[in-house]
Amino acid sequence: MSGEGDFLAAYETPRLARLAPNLFAACFPLMKLLPARFMLERAEATGHLQHGGPVAETTSGTFGLALALLAAVRGFDLTLVSAASLIDDRLRRRLEFLGAIVHIIDDPEGSGAQRERLAQLHTILEDRPETFWPRQYDNPDNRMAYGRLAEWITREIGRVDCLVGCVGSGGSLCGTGGFLREVFPDLTIIAVDTHRSVLFGHAPGRRLLRGLGNSLVPSNLRHEMVDEVHWVGAFPAFASAHRLHHDHALFMGPTSGAAALVAAWYARKHPDAVIFVILPDEGHRYQHTVYDDGWLAALEGWPAAVPDEPETLARIEARGEGEWTRLVWHRKPLATMIGAERGV
Amino acid sequence: MVSGKSAPRGRRSGGGANSTDRQTERRLQVGVGRAMAHHGELLQGVFEGADGKLHRGLITLPLAAQQSTVTFWPGGKGGIRTRPTDRRKAARAAALTLELLGFANVGGDLTIESDIPVGHGYGSSTADVMAAIRAAAAAAGATLRRSTVCRLAVEAEGASDAIAYGDQAVLFAHREGRILEHFGGEYPPLLVVGFRTGGARPIDTLGLPRARYDGQEIEQFRVLRGLASHAIRQQDPRLIGRVATASARISQHHLAKPRFEAVTDLAEAHGACGVQVAHSGTLMGVLFDADEGGVATRTTALAKTLRQAGFKGIVTFAVNVDGVFLQ
Repeated sequence: MSGEGDFLAAYETPRLARLAPNLFAACFPLMKLLPARFMLERAEATGHLQHGGPVAETTSGTFGLALALLAAVRGFDLTLVSAASLIDDRLRRRLEFLGAIVHIIDDPEGSGAQRERLAQLHTILEDRPETFWPRQYDNPDNRMAYGRLAEWITREIGRVDCLVGCVGSGGSLCGTGGFLREVFPDLTIIAVDTHRSVLFGHAPGRRLLRGLGNSLVPSNLRHEMVDEVHWVGAFPAFASAHRLHHDHALFMGPTSGAAALVAAWYARKHPDAVIFVILPDEGHRYQHTVYDDGWLAALEGWPAAVPDEPETLARIEARGEGEWTRLVWHRKPLATMIGAERGV
Repeated sequence: MVSGKSAPRGRRSGGGANSTDRQTERRLQVGVGRAMAHHGELLQGVFEGADGKLHRGLITLPLAAQQSTVTFWPGGKGGIRTRPTDRRKAARAAALTLELLGFANVGGDLTIESDIPVGHGYGSSTADVMAAIRAAAAAAGATLRRSTVCRLAVEAEGASDAIAYGDQAVLFAHREGRILEHFGGEYPPLLVVGFRTGGARPIDTLGLPRARYDGQEIEQFRVLRGLASHAIRQQDPRLIGRVATASARISQHHLAKPRFEAVTDLAEAHGACGVQVAHSGTLMGVLFDADEGGVATRTTALAKTLRQAGFKGIVTFAVNVDGVFLQ
């Protein structure tokens, strides 16, 4: 994917897995390295980032980890702002070990404290105005970074009829999907979200499944590119991650479980189509949670069976953590879909 | 016989110049070289090289049915004369080749016979240059690597294309004369209905301004490169057609072809794989899978429709297909 000879360039490259005769997966150790590296290089090229930093960002985890790896290797000052419900001690210690300064905001109701995190970030930017803020939610370079993934997909697979991926910033799905649609205009794009994320019109609320969804709508999410949205609750996502591990020896995170669940269903329904799914990170970070029986046993509603298919909704509505729903989105803007709900 | 490796390079020195000249004239023979035309590109843009930097590059669509044939007749001094006269790039290419092979300051006559139309993007000038290099090499009894032929062509002309690689599909840095990626195979089997858009007026293809691609286009070129690699590996005409169409669409922002959308509609209606353009020229081509049933009927029907629509220079040719196919 890159001519750059360092380890991180290789680390940002996925492995290919064939989950079904017509279903291929890009298994990333840490997908966010791709946009992190691209955004930093673009910022350096345009003079927004001076050699040695500083860089500051608000993050729920993996984008921060990607920045911290790059900061360590390339030697720039990095400050990260996160929320208590998003980041555990292990990850915080790892980020600090890599040399990052980590600010953690309390969010007892588990909302992710997106607004408070941004306020804190603005304080940092005011203190040091030369700071580069990658803005993964709104920086179009986030989407642009995925030309590399789309290149990798076309090189490995050739034709793709359907792309399935999780949405948090919108960068990976809308970036990759946009590049692929230039060669495959009929490409179906399926977004995977979770209940009580605002990305596709739910009211914000507590979410057990982290690493996808959002409490703000980022501009890198292009709703009018999306054919279909799925809301996967935490339990089907966890169970699907376990199944990926058991059936395919793929040790991936719970968002990968959610994406694989949706992709496998679509692949069964469309045996003549070629489906590609993006699996954004590995399971190591979740070994003491999603892959820990004790942690799981404490969850009300667990164990849960993996549903065979989603419930097709007629309108936008949030459900419980055990449920999996879908809505045909018709490449519409968010306002249109919410307006339709209200009878506008 | 003199080989490229063992031949002394550069000018010879010393008092024995006359005898040396006589000796080199005796060792040079009449040499003939050929090079084919192309029909624009399947892909053109900027691409990341092994050095991590961006390079302008292209995948040429070869047109083997049209050729330039150059004959070098050694003799005399005072440089290389050409027939037709004033083909300076071809003369320079021959001189550079002879110099490389250890025959500096050799004179002679270069006869250029070509059936490639000038100034539409068929690469007539490059074909003359390549054929001249091959003629000069043949005159010296030498063979040249394709990469050397390309490097000499760039030196003579300022740019080159990938026709030196013949039926081998490569991503070629045309301003530098070197390969960015060898796709490791030949072109997928294609039938092409080619034609000229716009006026019959030839243009100075090398004098055109270079396209300035934006960031989005540069990232899109990665995807087209990846898909081209897959299409060539799998010998898939459908996918190479997708590459060509997407590349042609980007080219519309830089050197727009008139009636582009009308042509893509016709291509689709005739079951084609895609369309391609000459990124510096007036040519367009509609690509068909040469192995598909009924393809000859569909190319004939399309050629007729294009003729009725007023397009000029309509020709159907084959790429990597058994037998001869040219209408």
